[in-house]
Amino acid sequence: MAEHSDSSQAEDPGRRRFLAHGAVATGAMAGGLALGYGMFFRCAGQYLYPADEGTAWMFVTDVASLAPGKALSFTSPTGVAVVITRRSVVPGAGSQEAAADARPAADFLALSSVCPHLGCRVHWEPQNDRFFCPCHLGAFDADGRPTAGPPLAANQSLPQYPLLVENGLLYINMPVKPLDQMTYRVVESGGAGNQGQGAGGIERTGVEDDPARFCASPEPGDGGVV
Amino acid sequence: MSAIARWFGERVPIDPAALRELTNEPVPHHMKRWWFCLGGTPAYLFLVQIFTGILLAIYYQPSATTAYESVEHITRHVTLGWYFRSLHKWAATLMIATIILHQMRVYFTGAYRRPRELNWVIGMGLLLTTLGIGFTGYSLVFEQLSYWGATVGANIADRVPLLGSLAKQLLLAGDQYNADTLPRFFILHVAVLPGTLILLLAMHITLIRLHGVSEPEPADALRAEGRYFNFFPDHFYTELIMGLLLMIVLSMLATLLPATMGDKADPLTTPEVIKPEWFFYVTFRWLKLFGPTFAVLSMGFIVFAMIIWPWIDAALRRITGWKEISVYIGIVATMLLVGLTVWEGAVAH
Repeated sequence: MAEHSDSSQAEDPGRRRFLAHGAVATGAMAGGLALGYGMFFRCAGQYLYPADEGTAWMFVTDVASLAPGKALSFTSPTGVAVVITRRSVVPGAGSQEAAADARPAADFLALSSVCPHLGCRVHWEPQNDRFFCPCHLGAFDADGRPTAGPPLAANQSLPQYPLLVENGLLYINMPVKPLDQMTYRVVESGGAGNQGQGAGGIERTGVEDDPARFCASPEPGDGGVV
Repeated sequence: MSAIARWFGERVPIDPAALRELTNEPVPHHMKRWWFCLGGTPAYLFLVQIFTGILLAIYYQPSATTAYESVEHITRHVTLGWYFRSLHKWAATLMIATIILHQMRVYFTGAYRRPRELNWVIGMGLLLTTLGIGFTGYSLVFEQLSYWGATVGANIADRVPLLGSLAKQLLLAGDQYNADTLPRFFILHVAVLPGTLILLLAMHITLIRLHGVSEPEPADALRAEGRYFNFFPDHFYTELIMGLLLMIVLSMLATLLPATMGDKADPLTTPEVIKPEWFFYVTFRWLKLFGPTFAVLSMGFIVFAMIIWPWIDAALRRITGWKEISVYIGIVATMLLVGLTVWEGAVAH
């Protein structure tokens, strides 16, 4: 002990080095601690952030049952209601509803019923020929373009969903996360084996382990949708 | 800096010296050994349980129609859901294991003796509450074990004279498992029992702080040698290191042996082989060895004897004049505990 104190003056650089090393070691330990728990809380953040479960092609109806100028409402397993209209005047698409090839459904229009302003549900007013949002008096024409209220001010149209016609059947591409966790069970037990067979309905539209399977673009003429 | 300190000091009038006194409890040197500070481990694991439990409750749906599906959803679909569910399961396992080890340390070192008898009683309350949280916890998955475990557990309660039937009715919300049962288990698991645990823990730690940590050797001699260290930061750092090690162990266990899912609860079929979680193996074997009424009453008697052990110990020592009689009783009890657990774990029926 005495030996150390005697030589402490002479070995000042050594002591300084020791302190510097000590500071680095302390910093490394504190950093490791922060990093370790930081990783853990980052994992927790990922757990809380909703997983992107992709979209899927869902069967809607057979094309023949929806006459030009008519509309139908479709509710996805996620609980999103969509209005699907068949236009009277088909812009350049011709009448190909019986064709076997998959093609974009140009003569159909799928509009979300969720107002782009603040998420209220719009409804169709036949007397005014418009979609109307009761929350802030927004209005949209039959093609979903804003005509009044906050959506007009912000130039926000009703969101559209992609549609597809194949083998005379109409499909829509929508997010697949179900409103009810029970739907997962239904999909896993009943729907996994027969997708693309036109079974239709909610059973074949839910999420599975491989969302990519549902998100894939259709291969024309392969007989399946996904 | 001092301006900020002054600002806070005015609004939160705590004497810094008193605060230092409160946090810098001199910790005896033997607490450097993990065996002697095991109590901090379940406390840390309890924090892990609160955190992972909140995460799980965000996706869990406590109803008989959706509980199993929601746990499956957490396990299979939610990002890192399997990890947090497995952490929760393993932290529960380690929490119960370390509470038992802590209790054994306290028992075999005689740390429950005067004047610390009440803290032993509170400790028993902590053990029983933790076992209750464990039991209600695995009932929430709504797999076969959850359903039949709850059914058997409620019927065990039913055997208790006078209050048993009432306890069963209150637990199951009826004569048997029904649509109102699972929400009760959920509320017990996430609110009532953890709330009780926090209260008991606060009392436990307050009493430790008031009495000081019990010391196996004469305190004066140690104090003379200066073999004390400060709680903060020295002991706090030890706990921090323990915490990190535990996180590593938990993560390894969660990754290598993740929490699985059994078959969904089926009220029409009791599985051929059904066992509770390992911490109930002793009671399960005990039930098989004796008739239900005797088993329930004897278990109640044993638990009661454990609760009032500090006074039983004092009486035994006074009557027999044998200072270490509790140690030998403890050795026999531990062997019985381990033996019955291993027995139940080793056989199918």
